[in-house]
Amino acid sequence: MTVPIQRLVLDLLKPHEPGIVEFAETVAACDGVEGVNAVLVETDREVQNLKLTLEGDAIDARVVEETVEELGGTVHSIDEVVCGERVVEQSETPQDR
Amino acid sequence: MTDIRELLRKEDVRSISRRYFISNGFDGTLTSIGVIVGAYLSGVPDGLTVFKIGLGAAVGLGTSGVWSVWEIERAEKQAEIVRIERAMLTDLEDTKVQRDQVGARKVNAVASGIGPLIGIILPLLPFLLHGIYLSLLEATLVGIAIGVLVLFSFGAYLGSISKQNWIVAGVRMGLAGLVVAFLNLFLPG
Repeated sequence: MTVPIQRLVLDLLKPHEPGIVEFAETVAACDGVEGVNAVLVETDREVQNLKLTLEGDAIDARVVEETVEELGGTVHSIDEVVCGERVVEQSETPQDR
Repeated sequence: MTDIRELLRKEDVRSISRRYFISNGFDGTLTSIGVIVGAYLSGVPDGLTVFKIGLGAAVGLGTSGVWSVWEIERAEKQAEIVRIERAMLTDLEDTKVQRDQVGARKVNAVASGIGPLIGIILPLLPFLLHGIYLSLLEATLVGIAIGVLVLFSFGAYLGSISKQNWIVAGVRMGLAGLVVAFLNLFLPG
């Protein structure tokens, strides 16, 4: 059984080229992705650290990761996954305060 | 295969190509002026021979432009990839980064080869009219004028992209053509 992924948050490292716009556009063109938010977290001399938030009705995490690698980036970690029939936000617990 | 229009939008690709184009175009134009003045002063009897000698120079400098830049940029871009790979701790073989580098290298090499072809062939064209409309002296003078104009265009272009006075920048480059023509007058024989 495959459960659709509706949100994926990635922490990734990429070279300066291709730029953040081209990066976001290419990932947004993946099947099942309806929107992308790319945030520059840190710029180093040769590389950039991005936080990429993807939303869609059926995101294929494997295809997204392959696309990122094809662009020369590497996924450091998957920081958030929302999957299932509806979007569930994380609920606040006493530890979050 | 990376789209050539996409590559040409990248400022670093354009900037490096521009440098090779102008630098080798400058070499080619001065070589051409040297060849045509030298040929006239040496008493080459017809324009077609001058044109053929010049074409030899065009082939030489054109090949040099493409070949040297192909190798220079192979080394430079490979060094850049190695630097990025070290920072990323990953292999960039067969990624867009690597393909863009190969595409950029091709654009750089072509620009480097076209520069001397334009610079050499344009000043030679009046020699094709020798015996029809122009004497050898006239063809030489028109050739020098075209060469100076080509150099002026290179200078004016550089002036316009760097927000300098394009006329002054053009005259500065064009002057080199006149200097080469003048120096040739002192060649032995």
